Amino acid sequence: MKYVATLHVRPKAEIRDPQGEAVSAALRALGFAVTAVRTGKEMVVTFDAADEPAALDAVRTMGQELLANPVIEVYEFDLKELARA
Amino acid sequence: MTRVALLRYPGTWSERDFQHAFSLVPEIETEILWHEDADLRGFDAAIVPGGFTYGDYLRAGAIAKISPATKALRRFADEGKPVLGSCNGFQILCEAGLLPGALLRNAGLEYRCDWIHVRVEQERTPWTAGMAGRVLRMPIGHGEGCFVADPDTIASLEESGRVVFRYTDARGAATLESNPNGSISNIAGVTNEAGNVVGLMPHPERCVEALLGGTDGYQILANLTGALAGTAPAIYR
Repeated sequence: MKYVATLHVRPKAEIRDPQGEAVSAALRALGFAVTAVRTGKEMVVTFDAADEPAALDAVRTMGQELLANPVIEVYEFDLKELARA
Repeated sequence: MTRVALLRYPGTWSERDFQHAFSLVPEIETEILWHEDADLRGFDAAIVPGGFTYGDYLRAGAIAKISPATKALRRFADEGKPVLGSCNGFQILCEAGLLPGALLRNAGLEYRCDWIHVRVEQERTPWTAGMAGRVLRMPIGHGEGCFVADPDTIASLEESGRVVFRYTDARGAATLESNPNGSISNIAGVTNEAGNVVGLMPHPERCVEALLGGTDGYQILANLTGALAGTAPAIYR
């Protein structure tokens, strides 16, 4: 089966996000009343797995082992099975 | 002869600087090892040099951590062998879990390329034996050097003396102005529990002779032979 996982990786709430701070200042420079920006990443992973539990397992492992760094980041994801043509 | 392995990943750029720096140290020979077939058997120490491995894609050091070289390095470190990671090497060691914490983008929104000062906080490592309290002047060049960890980890690092280098001014005072990247508690380098793995953001290999503008990095590299021979004033096992 083919699955598509969409992962959102964000800096933990207590971790400083210098990129977000820079974007926040830039938005204020454009005249918006911005008080905070937090930046993150979206990753869309298309992969094969035997069934849905195996696919869930695989995505969690991808997140923990590589796609997010648990020291500074959290991630969440949603998983969809790709409709077969 | 002490044999030092210099790991080269795709995007590593400081391995030849390290090779040159170690060539100035008596009784040390180096070999550059390509990450895919890095065999650390027979080496006495390993260096993870700076660079931009894998283009810093995903996170600095993140992709290098799954390389075969990093697996070999983990076994090597577990055996208690001395390991030093500088700049991107420090980032790789943190990503691989060989050192605590993580390195974020600099708080000042700048890539910092400069000469800075650090104070040696811990001499019980193979790289800093006999150097406690010394203020070293070394170059940095990084965009992601802001050391962070959760408050418990920071407290435990401080209590157990695992902060090895701290950014200071020229007189050794850890001020806000002397912190080039926003690192918590001005931390510039740390060690693992056993004290054999050290990571730091500055580049000791770029300050080993007067021609380069400074020589303070030389002793960090030269300490290795003494530490291995048991002649340095180090408690390092």
